[in-house]
Amino acid sequence: MKVKPMSAEDKRVWLTIAGIVVLGICFLPIGQWLFGIRYTYTVRVVALGGSILGVISGALGCFAVLRRESLMGDALSHAALPGVAVAFLLAGRDLGVLLIGAGIASWIALRFISALLGTTRLKQDAAMGIVLASWFAGGIALLAYIQSIPDASQAGLDRFIFGQAAAIIESDLLLISGAGVVVLLALALFWKEFKLVTFDQEFAGANGFQVGLINTLLSTLIVIAIVLGLQLAGVILMVGILIAPGIAARQWTRKLNHMVILAAVFGAFAGGVGAVISAIDADIPTGPMIIVVAFTLVLASIALAPGRGLLWSSWRRRLDSRRFARQNALRDLYRYALSHGSPATPVPDTFVRGIGDRSAALGLRQLLSAGLVETMGDNWRLTDAGIEAARRDAHSLRLWDLYRLYADDMDLPLLGEDRHLDIRDVLPADAIGQLEAMTEQRPN
Amino acid sequence: MMVLERWLIELLLTFVARDEINAFLRSPQNTATIIGCLIAVSGALLGTFLLLRGMALTSDAISHTVLLGIVVAFLLMTDVFGMAGDTSSPWLILGASLAGVGTVVLTELLYRSGLLRQDAALGLAFPLLFAIAVILVSRFAEDVHLDEDAVLVGEIGLAWANTNSHCFENCATVTINPDHPQAKMTRQCRNCRELGISPRDDGAEFVEICSNCGSYSPAQAWQAGYLQKEPLLVFFPKSITVTLIMTVLSLLFVLVFYKELKLTTFDAALAKALGFRPGVMNYALMILVSLVAVGAFDAVGSILVIAFFIIPPAAAYLLSDRLAIMLLLGPLIGAVGAFFGYDLARGKFFGIIEVGAVIAGLNRISGLDLLEEWDSSISASMVLMIFAIFLLAWVLSPRYGLISTLIRRANQSRRFDDQVVLAHIHNHQFTDRHLTELRVKTLHIHFRWTARKTGRVLARLRALGLVAVVDGFAELTARGETQVHAFRNAMFEARNIPDID
Repeated sequence: MKVKPMSAEDKRVWLTIAGIVVLGICFLPIGQWLFGIRYTYTVRVVALGGSILGVISGALGCFAVLRRESLMGDALSHAALPGVAVAFLLAGRDLGVLLIGAGIASWIALRFISALLGTTRLKQDAAMGIVLASWFAGGIALLAYIQSIPDASQAGLDRFIFGQAAAIIESDLLLISGAGVVVLLALALFWKEFKLVTFDQEFAGANGFQVGLINTLLSTLIVIAIVLGLQLAGVILMVGILIAPGIAARQWTRKLNHMVILAAVFGAFAGGVGAVISAIDADIPTGPMIIVVAFTLVLASIALAPGRGLLWSSWRRRLDSRRFARQNALRDLYRYALSHGSPATPVPDTFVRGIGDRSAALGLRQLLSAGLVETMGDNWRLTDAGIEAARRDAHSLRLWDLYRLYADDMDLPLLGEDRHLDIRDVLPADAIGQLEAMTEQRPN
Repeated sequence: MMVLERWLIELLLTFVARDEINAFLRSPQNTATIIGCLIAVSGALLGTFLLLRGMALTSDAISHTVLLGIVVAFLLMTDVFGMAGDTSSPWLILGASLAGVGTVVLTELLYRSGLLRQDAALGLAFPLLFAIAVILVSRFAEDVHLDEDAVLVGEIGLAWANTNSHCFENCATVTINPDHPQAKMTRQCRNCRELGISPRDDGAEFVEICSNCGSYSPAQAWQAGYLQKEPLLVFFPKSITVTLIMTVLSLLFVLVFYKELKLTTFDAALAKALGFRPGVMNYALMILVSLVAVGAFDAVGSILVIAFFIIPPAAAYLLSDRLAIMLLLGPLIGAVGAFFGYDLARGKFFGIIEVGAVIAGLNRISGLDLLEEWDSSISASMVLMIFAIFLLAWVLSPRYGLISTLIRRANQSRRFDDQVVLAHIHNHQFTDRHLTELRVKTLHIHFRWTARKTGRVLARLRALGLVAVVDGFAELTARGETQVHAFRNAMFEARNIPDID
């Protein structure tokens, strides 16, 4: 079997994934050494639970982010609360039952939102706000009613509001991982369909896919991810755990499969590390800490991600402005010198700075250190190498002019016009040949 | 604030007696209803514009952040400046609303970076800020009343107890010093603890200590029995004042800037071209939303408040197309919901249905054993009532309601079917293909309908006298002919095509 060579971007993504995994593993001894965290049984269970939930919600959150439904996650998680209360009233406090109740409530909320959108002129944000607030109010009202029941067994229901990871026990872990495996399997099974409806619903519909059905299935999986995460983060903060890993992963890659894997790893990192950090002190709640860790990941990704991160783009802007400054200075000098006689005519400093100011200074400095210009008192003069470079550049500009005029007629490859690049570097040699022939036919 | 309250009470006193005011305000129901209605009115006024601008969930973000602002300002006030912690202090309100506006700026910055979309920026920013607030609350603010319950649902049911007292007559402040005849003096051992001796031992030195010295406000003095004449006191709940100020501010804002708000909401580009500043208007709106969210925090907590912003305007939006009417309907719906919400919390739905009886019925049917006494959160019940009104508006609205929409769609599809059949007959009548095209038995094939549906449409058209069936073939009557022509002409006119017939 022939293995396709990986592109640079692919390599980068896999490297990031490996880096995060190593960082997560390294955090355990570092945490022990730096903060004196003791990995008791509870801490281990909670951290493991956090990581598993992070994987599930990170992987599915990608789709919520890509479908521009981030806030849907918020509405659906708030909407789970009345389900928890009703399930408790009907069947008592068994985690599985409570989660099923939560799932049903958010699923009804989901259908209600689409019914509102389908039959009224309300926009999505308003529909989500209505459902979020009223379902949540219903949950709060039911919880208040449950609290008035003279029976102590309702204690701990409000952990679904803020989440209480410390309450996760080993049997919960089994439930979470079992449900997680099912969800991830479903994700793998319907991968193609999910990808299609996420990026191009019309195309999917035109090709005979059951768009409505696939959408519902995907939303249901997202609901399951939310419901599983509730005991970790609670209904209010769940949206953060759902979408933050996806947003962070989006910065590193443009491929869906990479994004989902990366988001799962980010989620696991945030869940595990957040849980461990909150073990430093009994007063630090786990859910909010996980959110803070996840947001740190997002910030780091926005800042550092190669290709689109803030640092990267500001560095590229810097490089670009240096290149432009150098080229503009060279062109200005050359044009002034030509129009005053020969290319080697000295050019007064005031002229160059008069046009470019700071940018001119930046360009002249570069030209000077490259040996393309020399100073003569208050004047600048192109050296022989400088004249050669300026001639090449002028010729390139001339070819660009011709390209703009005749590219269509001569059937040349289509390019975005960037006159700061040498045209000979971007067009194939035969196209350059054709343009050169043109310069001879039409001298200026 | 005190001045305003005093002025308000003086106004009230010209109409009703003092005892009536006090009795009225001391009832938890009255106070809670007033506060709920005020929040609903101010929320709906501002929420209308949020809704129309497609920014409904911005109120969600703001209300979450306001919590962070309140917590930080609270901690600063109590721990750094050593002031008394009071959640209705103006400093707190200022800090919190700044934080609210801060979120809007933060999300805008995140969004402007071009790296994430608006919904993602919003969905990221407020869980984070809320998470930080929760960490701060549980780590530093355990002993204050900023507990998690208050954050969630507020304390609208207790608002009546948190009052400012105002005195109008016989207002003597009493200062009791050790020489005062009513001063209670006790002897206390000064050095017992130091020396570790009992007061009976030798060497114990005593000082006279006044246990009730200090200055008393008229209310305190009357209560402690230092005044002969009862002062004329009115106890005014603080939350009413705060929410009243917010309501008046919102109302003024909407009234004064009605034109600007309308223009920037519906056509920001035109507004800018005409020299208005949509950005300034936007931030002014955000500041007011933050203020209302802070003012409502005490009463309804930081999450339920978004219901007051979003749901009443959404209901009004389903009922009316005119901004002015929406601005009247929204507050009305919110206030009515808040009014009946208190009853719901105490177990009465619109004053008709007893929730307890419903639960009893459920118990009988399902064999469950649920408590048959419904006593629940007031603020959540207010939201539920507002939602119930929204549901009513959704189902019953004359133009955009569920029922009228369904009827309209059914009518449209019926009219469409009629026109299809009429046009088919018109096109093939008197042509050489009419034997195959117009035979009633096979007519449904040409429309790809079921035979039953075709039969139904045909029966309707015959009943209307537009189509006749002659020897098993469909043909247009004279009325049917005119109907088809009228329809065609109307269509051509609508598209500016000259009639070709």
